[in-house]
Amino acid sequence: MIAHSIFFYVFSLIAIISAIMVTVSKNTVHSVFFLILDFISISCLFIMIGAEFLGMIMLIVYVGAVAVLFLFVVMMLNVAQQKNQWFSASESSKHIPVGLIVSAIIFFELIIVIGGWKYKPDMNTAMSLNIDQNITNTHSIGYVLYTDYIHIFQLSGMVLLVAMIGAIVLTFRQRTGVKKQSYFSQISRERSDGVELIEVQKNKGVKLDD
Amino acid sequence: MIDVGLGHYLTLGAIIFTIGIVGIFLNRKNIIVILMSIELILLAVNINLVAFSIFLNDLSGQIFTLFILTVAAAEAAIGLAIIVVYYRNSSTIRVEEINSLKG
Amino acid sequence: MEITLLFLPLLASIISGFFGKYIGDRNSEIVTSIFVSISALLSLILFYKVILNSYESNVVIASWINSGALNVNWSIKVDALSSVMLVVVTLVSSLVHIYSIGYMSHDPHKPRFMAYLSLFTFAMLTLVTSDNFLQLFFGWEGVGLCSYFLIGFWFKKDSANAAAIKAFVVNRVGDFGFALGIFLIFYLFGTVNYSEVFQQIPQITDKELLFLGIQVKAIDLICILLFIGAMGKSAQIFLHTWLPDAMEGPTPVSALIHAATMVTAGVFLVVRCSPIFEYSPLTLNIITIVGMTTAFFAATVALVQTDIKKIIAYSTCSQLGYMFFAAGVGAYNVAMFHLFTHAFFKALLFLGSGSVIHSFKDEQDINHMGGIYKKLPYTWVLMIIGTLALTGFPFLSGFYSKDAIIEFAYLKGNTAGYYAAGIGIFTALLTSIYSWRLILKTFHGTYNNKNIKIEEMHESPIIMLIPLILLAIGAIFAGFLFKDLFIGHNGESHFWGNSIKFLNPLSSEHPPLWFVFTTPILVLLSIPLAYYLFVINKDLPNQLAQSNKPLYNFLLNKWYFDELYNFLFIKVSKNIGFFFWKTVDIKIIDKFGPDGVSLLIKSLSLKASKFQSGFIYQYAFMILIGFTALLTFLILH
Repeated sequence: MIAHSIFFYVFSLIAIISAIMVTVSKNTVHSVFFLILDFISISCLFIMIGAEFLGMIMLIVYVGAVAVLFLFVVMMLNVAQQKNQWFSASESSKHIPVGLIVSAIIFFELIIVIGGWKYKPDMNTAMSLNIDQNITNTHSIGYVLYTDYIHIFQLSGMVLLVAMIGAIVLTFRQRTGVKKQSYFSQISRERSDGVELIEVQKNKGVKLDD
Repeated sequence: MIDVGLGHYLTLGAIIFTIGIVGIFLNRKNIIVILMSIELILLAVNINLVAFSIFLNDLSGQIFTLFILTVAAAEAAIGLAIIVVYYRNSSTIRVEEINSLKG
Repeated sequence: MEITLLFLPLLASIISGFFGKYIGDRNSEIVTSIFVSISALLSLILFYKVILNSYESNVVIASWINSGALNVNWSIKVDALSSVMLVVVTLVSSLVHIYSIGYMSHDPHKPRFMAYLSLFTFAMLTLVTSDNFLQLFFGWEGVGLCSYFLIGFWFKKDSANAAAIKAFVVNRVGDFGFALGIFLIFYLFGTVNYSEVFQQIPQITDKELLFLGIQVKAIDLICILLFIGAMGKSAQIFLHTWLPDAMEGPTPVSALIHAATMVTAGVFLVVRCSPIFEYSPLTLNIITIVGMTTAFFAATVALVQTDIKKIIAYSTCSQLGYMFFAAGVGAYNVAMFHLFTHAFFKALLFLGSGSVIHSFKDEQDINHMGGIYKKLPYTWVLMIIGTLALTGFPFLSGFYSKDAIIEFAYLKGNTAGYYAAGIGIFTALLTSIYSWRLILKTFHGTYNNKNIKIEEMHESPIIMLIPLILLAIGAIFAGFLFKDLFIGHNGESHFWGNSIKFLNPLSSEHPPLWFVFTTPILVLLSIPLAYYLFVINKDLPNQLAQSNKPLYNFLLNKWYFDELYNFLFIKVSKNIGFFFWKTVDIKIIDKFGPDGVSLLIKSLSLKASKFQSGFIYQYAFMILIGFTALLTFLILH
């Protein structure tokens, strides 16, 4: 168990320090990197305590997609090149003491709630899904996700669909000055374009105006 | 202290939650840091859920974490899209300069 | 007839006041003078009827208040006392109206002046013909109001405005006492009508009240309060300060109001309430002492004044003191007699001085006059007649009335009476000296005016002289003709009937012969004395003044009453008023009231608008704070 504790403290320390550095660092790209480090350490923590499916999913989705997306946007908007001051803006530095106090209050309240929390006596029987220790975590999640929680699963698919459409709609813009070919109008012909019937008079010719 | 129990994980979650909240309004840089702080908050919630799930032998905590993950990803995407569009229009994402809601 | 008498002046005032612009100056003068003269004629007819037939009437015009126990009517009560006053008021008023046509000929506001004069006459008539205390008070206030109008007639002068306000305010102090007296009468008797009150007086002679923590007899209290009102209106000592300053008004005003009519309202009040005063020996003594002190005080001050009108004003004050002192020793009829004769010669003196002022083009300082008796012969002779009457020269009107007062004081027998008689004789001497000083310095000696050449001096127009002549006739003959009527033989008279009450009939004895002759001899001797002092040896008064500088200054500054009142009351009230204005009104009431509320709203809304900064992170911060508060509340609950 000692290894468990040591690893727990190491990972949590890394997580906390990198969380602080996310908000504090001057360079935005550094902030994104620290966010990635935060995600990685937390997912290690998950793997350590036995939720390895979730840990891996976190690595893939959070780090691989979300954080990379952040990085794309940071690079695209040239944020890193803007010189930013930290805590030295005039009107906003008054907020710092108050803000810190308020967040300290929230923290202590959370601790109080959690610390004084008692388990309900019939907790064991109220649990719905017992973790079976014999099968892997992935296996057990798979058992439940597509059977009991299928509706929520589909709904989360919908959410992702809407998010995708939304992102496209938001950022879509028409480009002016783009030349495009329209093959259809180039190739298509109608009868009225090709053939013309003319009444011909006796002893008179036909004038062809082109 | 040596024996790491549920309380330790919950404390960790509380700390990261608080740091995320602090990051929302104490940053003087740009909006992207706000979004990252939101991700931190969601991460803290995930830690809580997973810790409870493991220590109480209940799988539903992990299932719910999966969905939170989904929603967090979707919301990050949309948020970044909005920032990109806003940047197109006002060419700045510094927090002090975004005050067109001023009444 | 009574109704016509009362309302003609009011009608004249309304016509001249509201329509003077349309009918023209000359017409408004004519209308007012004619109407008031008709009232004078009617009052003479009534007086005649009262003398011959003991005519009495009480014409009720309308019911004023009819509420519970209080029933008060507008009425015209004619009896011996009020008929005498009617004659005095209307006669002098009509003569003053006619005089003003000439005196105010250069003034641009003639209709307004005439309207005020007529309005004053109406108010005074209401006062004397009332049959209850409330109408009396209405007339009382009315004459005070008209006095304010008339003193401040030339309203562009600051000093005139100040003097008008001073008159009104000092009067108001007296009116306060008077009002308390009326309240007390109503409280004790349940009615304010004369007849009912006088009937019930004997029943409460022993009643005692607790007033401001002191146990006093009810009758004494009523009488003292009523007398305070009389003191204010008649400029007795302590409430006299307004009378000299009231000379800021035009001279006809001084003649009408401050010689013959308004200031005599106080005497009229005391005499009318003689049924009440007779039961309060304490108040009668107070009245005697106050009257005598006033007479003495005013005479001493008049000795050193330099303004011609102020000398005559102090003379009025002094003679009013005589009237009150006559009432105080119980000789009400003698007081009325002196009032009657005094009206004539004092109005004559005022109007004569007005004539002098008019000739000197508004110069009023007697040190700048002198030596014009040949230029203004008629005025000179008429003023001398007035002065002789005033000083009590034998066989003129003042002789009969003033000496009767001194005799009755002596006959009263107690120490107050002896003291008063002695002071009376001394004051008569002083009166004579200052009156002759006035005449000699104005008309004799060397011509001292620097602005006008003596060749330009001319007599006043005839329209100003006719009232003077008529008044002079009255000043000469009124005493001799009416002596028996007013005072009667041996101190009794059937003329007064029920209008004056004598609890103990006046003494019918005569004082010792040496006493009777003292005053006339002194008066006669004072004429050459004054001639010596003011014409032949002009430096002697100046040397006397220089060697007794403190006494001279004391007299010149009117016994420092004005300074005393300024220190005691005026500074204090000014500071209090200032304090209430600056601190309470502006800082406290306005601050918590309109100003404060608007400033508060402004500042609050400025602060509130800072919430809408437009920064989203601040909105998020607000959300966070709210959430924290909610969480804390839920945890602690």
